[in-house]
Amino acid sequence: MNRATPLIELRSVSKSYRKGGETIDAIADIDLELPEKGMVAIVGPSGSGKSTLLHLIGAMDRPTRGEVVVAGRVVNGLSQGELTRFRRRTVGFVFQTFNLIPNLSALENVALPMEFNGAAKSERTKRAKALLERFQLGHRLKHRANELSGGEMQRVAIARAIANEPRLVLADEPTGNLDSKTGALIYELLKEISRERTVLVVTHAEPLAAMADRVLHLQDGRIGA
Amino acid sequence: MGMIVLGLRNLLRNKVRLVLVAILIGVPFFLLLAMNAIGDAVQRQTAVLAENVNTVLQLRARGSMGHVNMVGQDRILPQDVPEKVRGIEHVERVEPYLLAMAPITPPNFVMHVGLAPTAVKRLESHGEAGNPRIIAGRDLTPEDAGQDVAIIGQGYAQWAGIKPEDMGTATLTVDPTRTHPVIFAMKRPTRELRIVGMYASGYVFGDLQLFMPIETFRSIYGTDQGTSWLFVKVDSVENVPLVAQRVRETVGYVADILVPESAAVFTATTSRTVKQLSGAGGLLAIALMVIVVFFVLLMTVRERAREIGTLKAIGASDGGVTVQFLTEAVALSLLGGALGLLLFQAVGAMVTGRLFALSIGPFLPSHYKPLFESLAVSNQVSASVLLLVLVVAVVAAVVGSAYGVWQAVRLSPLEAMKHE
Ligand SMILES: Nc1ncnc2c1ncn2[C@@H]1O[C@H](COP(=O)(O)OP(=O)(O)OP(=O)(O)O)[C@@H](O)[C@H]1O
Ligand SMILES: [Mg+2]
Repeated sequence: MNRATPLIELRSVSKSYRKGGETIDAIADIDLELPEKGMVAIVGPSGSGKSTLLHLIGAMDRPTRGEVVVAGRVVNGLSQGELTRFRRRTVGFVFQTFNLIPNLSALENVALPMEFNGAAKSERTKRAKALLERFQLGHRLKHRANELSGGEMQRVAIARAIANEPRLVLADEPTGNLDSKTGALIYELLKEISRERTVLVVTHAEPLAAMADRVLHLQDGRIGA
Repeated sequence: MGMIVLGLRNLLRNKVRLVLVAILIGVPFFLLLAMNAIGDAVQRQTAVLAENVNTVLQLRARGSMGHVNMVGQDRILPQDVPEKVRGIEHVERVEPYLLAMAPITPPNFVMHVGLAPTAVKRLESHGEAGNPRIIAGRDLTPEDAGQDVAIIGQGYAQWAGIKPEDMGTATLTVDPTRTHPVIFAMKRPTRELRIVGMYASGYVFGDLQLFMPIETFRSIYGTDQGTSWLFVKVDSVENVPLVAQRVRETVGYVADILVPESAAVFTATTSRTVKQLSGAGGLLAIALMVIVVFFVLLMTVRERAREIGTLKAIGASDGGVTVQFLTEAVALSLLGGALGLLLFQAVGAMVTGRLFALSIGPFLPSHYKPLFESLAVSNQVSASVLLLVLVVAVVAAVVGSAYGVWQAVRLSPLEAMKHE
């Protein structure tokens, strides 16, 4: 990889919502470059546009204006098929509510994105098992979501997010539903996986944000100092 | 492949609902199978009925009895009529008859009939009612064509002094010159016929006939051309009116056409109506299934919006989501189908008869009710019934789930992000 090329590039990106008669700029004309690898925290008051920014970078939403470039591709111009491939290979998501598929075991949850990506069964089972063991979940392979604690569920979710070895992981308040001690553990995990990829994490917890390599302060849809 | 497994596993998530939905789909399936069984039973029953319904038209020269020596009634059908009628669609067989009267001492006269040796030997004025049965000797055979042989009714034989044991050796002299108040003389030589068989019909007049090969008749009475009567056998009872009309168009004014009345009555009602009613009942059942699948899928998609969003966020394609929900819908309706089949096996024979009386009975003309009261409904599950269940299950699932699946496909992965 060319070190000079950033992984993420936002060029004059805005996202507006119409609410009643007025227009709200959730993201207001943001220019941003984020490098390959490392942990970036997005902080800011409620409604400042943190989630919106994450959605735009993850190609879950399209900007009203501007261009979002991830891994060299303008994601707001991708076709449906290209979007699906982008979600399989380039980006992994970690959710505040964990979002494990309830009728699948931990192992199957982690293997699922690999299945979507066309990996052979033996290959994905092997890799899913290795990932869960790396996250101290070797004894929980066969457990379903409702048989796991919150922290365990989120660790499974992180394993799932990096199953296809994406260059980017996006996490929106991944510790919002966890106590602070468990949350700290999750952040350590995110920090650890950010050695091999870019991890973009939205958080309200300022002390955890301190672990990040870079912190983006959002205020009214703009990035402050 | 994975999405199919996922779809199947989703079925087991809520077992109470699974059972409930299977019942909701199973009951219409039972209804469908019952309607199907009724349709089949009625078809079988009407097939039996149709066999006993007269499907034979009779043609005679217009306004004439067609007896070659009967005073004022001797006009016969032109020579080309049998050929013309034979060419009409749904005509199975045509049988030309030639008839002459012969005077005897009481009861006055007998009937001489010329026909193809293998033709059905119908008795004048008794029609189908008294089919003759050979009681001595043999019936006419194809080899008899053109020969001076005949079979005789037992009443005629008694008058002529011919005994059953004389079959094959006894002879009877036919004399066309003999007259009677309604029979005129034909100046033709007499002919001696060898009697090869004797029949009985159960009717006094029916037993007073003589059947001979038609060529023999022609040479005795000098009737080179034409036929007295033409019997036209129609392939099925439904086609009788159609064939009657075609015959009228084809042979035109020269003939009177006698259509069996029972056939006309039979076609007006019967199986078609019942089949249509049971078909409508079946369609209603399928509509019920579609509605159940529709709402179940809609509810499921709404409930699982976050999960669908998550699947998309981690890389499921629209096709994958479609496959997953379609699998679920098809499996659900197959399960309902299996339940319906079991139900049908268990109580089908018992309940279906009653169902028939309630659902279709009221629409039947009253004179057909007794026929169908004894309807034998079968709860047999044949290969075709299994195929029906399979096809209906898949069709109902696909049609019923289409909207729900479309909703699922349309869901944004952002659904995964919502937390309420
Ligand atoms: N779908 C939407 N329709 C209308 N307005 C929206 C929509 N999504 C977000 N907004 C608005 O955009 C602004 C930014 O929302 P966003 O969810 O990005 O904030 P946030 O920083 O993530 O807040 P929180 O910390 O509460 O999660 C808010 O004013 C919000 O009301
Ligand atoms: Mg948010």
